[in-house]
Amino acid sequence: MQLARVVGTVVATVKAPNMEGMRLLIVQPLTRRLEPVGQPVVAADALETAGPGDLVTIVAAREAAEAMPNRFVPVDHAIVGIVDAVEELRP
Amino acid sequence: MKLARVVGTVVSTITSPIFQGRTLLLVDLLEPDGRQAGGYLVAVDTVGAGAGETVLVLDEGTSARQIVGAAYGPLRTVIVGIVDAVEGPASLASVAAAPGMAAASVPRKPRRARARTGADG
Repeated sequence: MQLARVVGTVVATVKAPNMEGMRLLIVQPLTRRLEPVGQPVVAADALETAGPGDLVTIVAAREAAEAMPNRFVPVDHAIVGIVDAVEELRP
Repeated sequence: MKLARVVGTVVSTITSPIFQGRTLLLVDLLEPDGRQAGGYLVAVDTVGAGAGETVLVLDEGTSARQIVGAAYGPLRTVIVGIVDAVEGPASLASVAAAPGMAAASVPRKPRRARARTGADG
């Protein structure tokens, strides 16, 4: 899993059959210090509650589809958590 | 599996069910010699890893779900071990110690005991 910030929403009327009703958001991956890193990606919102500005956790690859109610969907990034806090631990 | 160091926690109340009640830790990925490799992961802790500890991180879904006993769910990244030492040409004598701690000779049982008493803070 990585940290990411929701930066937008995607509206797509024509989608693969299993994607109907799916919330699609644009997320910007972040470093652990919450700085943007890499390219934004479109992620399915498994929680149905994330929105622009939210700090979230995302999961990539096959496990992204596992987050959705129907596990056999063409999804490669999914939002699986809304982050309340990131705390640094010092040994 | 990857070598990593525990550097933080992630608190998330609204999550997929498979993460509920589980500890999420931030881990920095490491080279075998203990240097930062660049990059990090948010991982579910299954071994009770503590701050600054070097850990083994599994980043593959089917194995990860097997470890927590779940048939399905978006779990992929799991801490599966606490590393005492990495040996061989590519490594230092020990990567178990956190930065600032003595790197040499970190015996297994005393190390765990020290982590539990919090004497390393």
